[in-house]
Amino acid sequence: MTLRLHRLLAPLSLALGLVLLGPAAARAADGEATLNPSEEFALPDWVSIKIGGLDLSINKAVFYVLLATALTTGVMIWAARRMAARPTGRVQTVVEMAFGLMRDNITRGNMDARMAAKWFPFIATLFLFIWFSNMIGYLPLPTNTTHTFDVFGLEIPSFALYAATANISVPLVLALVVWISYHVEGIRAKGFLPYIRSWVPAGVEGFMVGPILAIEALSHFVRLISLSLRLFANILAGHLLILFMAGGLVILLGMGLFGSLVLGIATGTLAVAFFLFEIGLVATLQAFIFSTLTAIYLGGAVAEEH
Amino acid sequence: MDLILITAQVAAETGETAGRAIGLGLGTGLAALGTGIGLGFIFGKTIEAVSRQPELRGDIQSIQWLGFALTEATVFYGFIAGLIAFFV
Repeated sequence: MTLRLHRLLAPLSLALGLVLLGPAAARAADGEATLNPSEEFALPDWVSIKIGGLDLSINKAVFYVLLATALTTGVMIWAARRMAARPTGRVQTVVEMAFGLMRDNITRGNMDARMAAKWFPFIATLFLFIWFSNMIGYLPLPTNTTHTFDVFGLEIPSFALYAATANISVPLVLALVVWISYHVEGIRAKGFLPYIRSWVPAGVEGFMVGPILAIEALSHFVRLISLSLRLFANILAGHLLILFMAGGLVILLGMGLFGSLVLGIATGTLAVAFFLFEIGLVATLQAFIFSTLTAIYLGGAVAEEH
Repeated sequence: MDLILITAQVAAETGETAGRAIGLGLGTGLAALGTGIGLGFIFGKTIEAVSRQPELRGDIQSIQWLGFALTEATVFYGFIAGLIAFFV
């Protein structure tokens, strides 16, 4: 199965790479040799919704969040409905594998059975949402409305790579939900002051309690930053790498026809390699890490000793 | 006199841009140095552990990926700090 997957992946990613190279090449040919990489991450309003000072406009990032949500619920409900006692398709095998990973490795490996039963739906949803969000981030979708091209008179937005998780607000909100829920769970299990006291490792006594508590409080705050930044920066850096390798670098350097061609072939190959690395490892690994850390934090908050 | 002033201004501006670019490059590069060493440790230790206890391969590998992702993330702290230095 792995072999067949590999055979399928290589031409597929090559095609995707060419799709990526297309707009860049067209813009270079137009003499419009000013590529602004931050443009790929710009979020023009599609449907403007403004209530007072609140900006609820639908833009590219919102579209990707909605798409990931729809895919998470849609695919999982579809897979759940066609589950059979005697598995017939490959879908069931894959979903059961993912289920086993989420339930046994991620959730049960890091907390006791009662907590696991309570928090498994949350952690599994988190894993699947981040996974779908990362994966659709590597499909070129016609979402770049700043630049359009014509196909038989139809104005089609340029194909672009974007992911909801490459925008700091989405990982930050997910991290905030996790952060607040594990503190609430800890306070519920132990009470407010004992929970704060449980941050200090056993054996620390006397005047050292104060500084250690301050350090622990800082580390709890840093968890918020590291949890959100890890996911955000991983996906953003992956997208930037693919963007630069698949044409951005050639346009920025502008080394004439021959130089651009040589450089373009070299970086284009690298772009395919980075694309495979990102889609094959980073997308899944970041979803795994985020949910595993969630489980570790939740389990640690209610654990008896530190 | 004007020319000297303009040259000085341009030099100051280029100097600032250069400083920002150095900040981004150096921040990400140094972070990558540390992360590279860390990743080498993780995979090296995994190979060592698996060769000592081949039957624990599955357990060791799942911890290895956890360590890999945690270590790998540190390069992005440098990268983000560099981006902040570059754009802000």
